[in-house]
Amino acid sequence: MEDELLNQIKELQCVHDGLILVRKSASETVLSGILNFEASVDGYETISSRFEIDLIVPIDYPETLPCVRETSKKIDSNYDHINSDGTLCLAIPIEERRVFSEQPSLLGFINRLLIPYCYGYCYWKKYQIHPFGEAEHGFKGIVHFYMNSLQLKDEVSVLSVISYLYEHGYRGHHRCPCGSDQIVRKCHGKLLRSLIEQHSTHTLENDFLSILIYCSEKNEREVIKIPERLHRQILRILQTAQKQCR
Amino acid sequence: MINAIKYSRFLNSIAEEIDISPSKYQDAVNRYEAVGLWLERGDYEEFSDELTIYPQGSFRLGTVVRPIKNGFESSYDIDLVCELPMDKEIVAPRLVKSIVGDRIKEHGIYRQLLQEEGKRCWTLEYAEEDGIGFHLDILPAVPNPLTNADASIAITNKRDFSYSWSASNPKGYGVWFDNKNRSAFEFVLHEQKQSIQARSPDIFLRVEDVPNQLVRTPLQRAIQLMKRHRDVYFDDRHSNEYSPISIVITTLAGHFYRSELDTFTALSNIVDRLHAHAELIANQSINSTSPIKRTQDGKWYIGNPVNSNENFAERWHEDNHARAIAFFTWIDALNRDLVEIIKETRSEDIRKILSTSLGIAIATAHFELIVPVRSENIEVPKIHIPHAAKPWRV
Repeated sequence: MEDELLNQIKELQCVHDGLILVRKSASETVLSGILNFEASVDGYETISSRFEIDLIVPIDYPETLPCVRETSKKIDSNYDHINSDGTLCLAIPIEERRVFSEQPSLLGFINRLLIPYCYGYCYWKKYQIHPFGEAEHGFKGIVHFYMNSLQLKDEVSVLSVISYLYEHGYRGHHRCPCGSDQIVRKCHGKLLRSLIEQHSTHTLENDFLSILIYCSEKNEREVIKIPERLHRQILRILQTAQKQCR
Repeated sequence: MINAIKYSRFLNSIAEEIDISPSKYQDAVNRYEAVGLWLERGDYEEFSDELTIYPQGSFRLGTVVRPIKNGFESSYDIDLVCELPMDKEIVAPRLVKSIVGDRIKEHGIYRQLLQEEGKRCWTLEYAEEDGIGFHLDILPAVPNPLTNADASIAITNKRDFSYSWSASNPKGYGVWFDNKNRSAFEFVLHEQKQSIQARSPDIFLRVEDVPNQLVRTPLQRAIQLMKRHRDVYFDDRHSNEYSPISIVITTLAGHFYRSELDTFTALSNIVDRLHAHAELIANQSINSTSPIKRTQDGKWYIGNPVNSNENFAERWHEDNHARAIAFFTWIDALNRDLVEIIKETRSEDIRKILSTSLGIAIATAHFELIVPVRSENIEVPKIHIPHAAKPWRV
């Protein structure tokens, strides 16, 4: 990976040559500097802008994706899509990974995730409209992402799908966890397979826990009802995880 | 042309970066003092006097460089001598080695950190939380004074299954080095302590709390830069088994240092003087006053300044003088990359030479000290966004 990372840095610098400062520490490599771009979007105006950023590439990249800080305070601190640690919230993690997988390199990360984010910010600043829409915050955003992208009927189905993925991964011949009576291959097969490919162990676990917490809370308030079978499955998953921890 | 003052500042920043940081230094001292205490408190049947523990090598000399392996920074090496109060004439080297090893193994944690027995030392490997670990090499030894007040020691040497003695004198070498360093040390002492304290006020409350061991003269800086250049230069070369050992670099730099007060002048003079010795490869002319000599039989000699019987270049004639050739080829590259570069005018070339010869991560971080950092691009990259993710927040 080390040579590969150097190559990716070189590739990135060929296009975005303002990102010249490289610092390496034990846990990360940080590229700092200026990101200039002229971005065009079909049906929208072309925007040129300039941001100063730190691109923080973790040691286990690409298992974990980089994060970005904007360092010149160009982005309003009350802008809704900045995390509490100051990093930019580019997208819901699994969507971020999906977009990254289309061009899995630092250059792809900048061009497909960061520049669209910066474009979105500039556009919003001018018109108070998000050209690409915005995801709901927190766990709700994650649940709705699954619901929309997999066209699931409700939150319980999302919990069922994520629990299934977390426990079994992709199994073409199983019953599809969405609740249809078809086998996975004939139902959500393609979508589930690409989800599994895009997830890392860590992000899959995170999504499972986020969705579980979100649904459990609603279940307690009796807004939704987690069926008995799914409930038992979740208990089984948690018990297995606990044993592995020991 | 690079401005020499700016360039010297750049070299200092690089050296500082590859040096051990004050907090890491403190960690290392705490670690080795704990090990020292453990060794001192052992219940030894073989002797009754106190044993002594002290650092040697680059940690003692203030020439520590963070090693680079396969292009990336790795753990620091710290060498400690553990001198047992035993008589070399009546004790076997195997016993000395095992007394120290056995005592280390009595400690639950050290036993786990202990690596396989080394040729001369026992190594404890500390993997630190921040990823910047240490190798603590503990070198068992006994006193071996050549004269009355002499600090020479005998160290053990393991070869296959047998042990023998080797001579060494780390304390004496340290004193020799300190003398070479002395006048520059006095000169930079106060200013450096002030600046170290100002940068790490949480570690050192007052300027007086900064230990002398963290002060670096231009000699020490020059040695650090030479070692780093060597590490990068030989890192991916096939000839890396002939890479010059640190003690050779330190000794020769010490001999050729004339108390210059800035890092660039010190480095360039040392490299110049070394460069002038490249002729030794072709003609075997013997200059009796130079620290690098050819002997009558064509071999090489770089004496230990505190023990002329020890020849740091004893293997230089092997493999058709491979080590000597590697040394002078490297000095040539060092001269080109870090000394002659000052005449370079194109900032692109400066950037390229320095980042390939010192390591890209380290060199690029300090370029703004010598060449203007480009803030505007002539051509702005044009990016088309076919579709985009929605921004979110945790």
